[in-house]
Amino acid sequence: MMRNLTQRLNLGDGRWALPCFIGVWSLLVIAPLVVLIVFSFFQTQYFMTVYKPSLYTWNDLFSSGRFEVTLRTLRIALTVTLIDLAIGFPFALWLAKGKTSRTVQAIALALLTIPFFIDLSSRIIVWRPILDEHGLINNFLLATHIASAPQHWLLYTEWPVHFVMVISNFPMMVLPIYMAINVIDDTLIAACQDLGGSPFRVLRDIILPLSLPGILGGIVFTLGSALAAWVEPSMLGGGFVDVLSNSISSAYSALRVPMVAALSTFVVVLLALLLLILTLAMRRFVRFGEVFRSMKS
Amino acid sequence: MKDRFSTHTQLELSRRDMFKGALGLAAVAATGGLAQQADAAESTTVRAYGVTTAQLTDWSVMQKSLGITMNYTGSNNDVGVYMQAVMQSGLGNSEDIFIFEGGTQNILGPHGAYLPIDVNQKELTLWSRTPDAWKHSGVVVGSDGKQWGTPVIGNADSFGYIASKIGVNPNGLDDVSWGMLLDSDKTRGRAAFDQTWNYSLPSAALYLKATGKAKIDNPGDPTGEEARAVVDFLVARKKAGQFRTLENSFEQQIQLLTNGEVDIINCWEPAAREANKKLGPNAVCYAYTVEGYYKWGHGAYIASQAASRGNLDNIYKVLNYFMDGEYRAYQARDRGYAGPNMDLGVAYAQAHNWSADQIAELKATQVKVDRKFQKPFVSTTTPSHADAIEDEWQRFLNA
Repeated sequence: MMRNLTQRLNLGDGRWALPCFIGVWSLLVIAPLVVLIVFSFFQTQYFMTVYKPSLYTWNDLFSSGRFEVTLRTLRIALTVTLIDLAIGFPFALWLAKGKTSRTVQAIALALLTIPFFIDLSSRIIVWRPILDEHGLINNFLLATHIASAPQHWLLYTEWPVHFVMVISNFPMMVLPIYMAINVIDDTLIAACQDLGGSPFRVLRDIILPLSLPGILGGIVFTLGSALAAWVEPSMLGGGFVDVLSNSISSAYSALRVPMVAALSTFVVVLLALLLLILTLAMRRFVRFGEVFRSMKS
Repeated sequence: MKDRFSTHTQLELSRRDMFKGALGLAAVAATGGLAQQADAAESTTVRAYGVTTAQLTDWSVMQKSLGITMNYTGSNNDVGVYMQAVMQSGLGNSEDIFIFEGGTQNILGPHGAYLPIDVNQKELTLWSRTPDAWKHSGVVVGSDGKQWGTPVIGNADSFGYIASKIGVNPNGLDDVSWGMLLDSDKTRGRAAFDQTWNYSLPSAALYLKATGKAKIDNPGDPTGEEARAVVDFLVARKKAGQFRTLENSFEQQIQLLTNGEVDIINCWEPAAREANKKLGPNAVCYAYTVEGYYKWGHGAYIASQAASRGNLDNIYKVLNYFMDGEYRAYQARDRGYAGPNMDLGVAYAQAHNWSADQIAELKATQVKVDRKFQKPFVSTTTPSHADAIEDEWQRFLNA
């Protein structure tokens, strides 16, 4: 079927594809990135960018605490991603291959997608009256004598930021994994079980490898969104959870374009390192080529 | 080109654009665009770009009084965004007036984006009777001493507090120290501080200077060393648990006051007014302070390109209107903002049969501003060492 489709589309031998892709990619992605890196070696004086190369801005990055902002942002984003993966994978598995009716699946998918149609700020701000000193949760804790005093850590700390980011990003993680698991042929699972495979082996040898593209997609979408988060830290962190987006916004308010560039460059470098480490670590457990080969069969 | 690295700035690059624009205009004029220029001279529309709060809620009031139509585009109140728009987007090619918080004239004026104000222009009839505190303030006069703008609105910001909680006179008329917000056990864990560097750091610097806890020459424009001393103090207070939260929006200021999360907060005066609508009259007092205020003001600046458009008379009529009674009265009534010549606002309200309550409120605004402006104040959106101050502020946020 796939071969017939390819023949009908008459895509030729594809010799033009790689140069075309490299050209477009270089123009739209690589070139701005290079500009960003170059700008990080300039500096700002009295709201003006001084186009004299130096390490001044990079020195500032490490001496002003912005280095910590980057690490904090990465830490929060990775924590949220891992929590979402830990909750999202079983949920997606249940939704796709559990004994759920089509109606339940449709309702669950609708509930997952509805938040995308509501402004993020509106969704986040409702948590403040729930979590604040005189909020719903504190009132409940005091009324039931579970706590003798209002719990201040519920708001304006890292805790609510993590909590609400996990909720906000949950659909980002679940939907790609659900789609990947949903297309796994049931006969493969049945065959494994017929051959005496335990549920763990079905999960390890069938579902996990075949859903890996969805898992990777979920990680990328969730991590990307969490790294760029500003609404949750701003509204629930109370200024005590300074993340990259806030720091960039603050730098831009003084027209410190080189600092914005240095921060962004630093994150790109850290992400590249992270990706490299992940790839090397994953290679010990999963052969990526096998994953995609199994998708083709 | 020998100093191409050190001397090329955004402004110089954008001035090239302006030069190109001027060449383009010359070409248009040479090819028959002169008729359009003549139309522009007779135009009764003035275009303005600036902070949203400087707008009248209904510009038709001005149209009836002056016969001039206002075409106003609201801007972000972030100074970085604003200066970027003026400098790199060449907004002066289309806008006649810019309205923004004081400080931008120190940079944009000398670099040619603003036209110096001609205080003897015939349409600027209220200039001579406008108090020096407004017309010669750092909002409209540049650091080079030149008059780059005319005053529009302003206020002396301090902090809101719930008197019963912090143990001061509930009539709100006593001077309260900034130390009550920053440095008091009475308010530890019950204070909120704004997390914007150019709003909060100068007030803390003012307190430290007034109490002799740090040596600071100009709290509104501290050096990097002075900013470090201020941030060292704030970091210590933060670690001592002084601040319940570092707030960052108008709605949060109101929420923190109305839900009882904090007892004291450096906020905008309208936030205290909004909180009192829910909590009752005078539940939240907006402080008269011991040390002084964060005095802000919006200035109106003429785009340098407007000089050749032939509608300078109308532009000056609008600048004059910003200092007149009608604009003053409406701004005070609808937004609670003060400005130059409050007495003209009161006179306007009386002449137009506004209610006794509204007139009394205008008079009270005048009394309040007169009292507050006698104290020292700090204000600028463009401190000379902005990059060092912003860096230090990051240290505070990350402590």
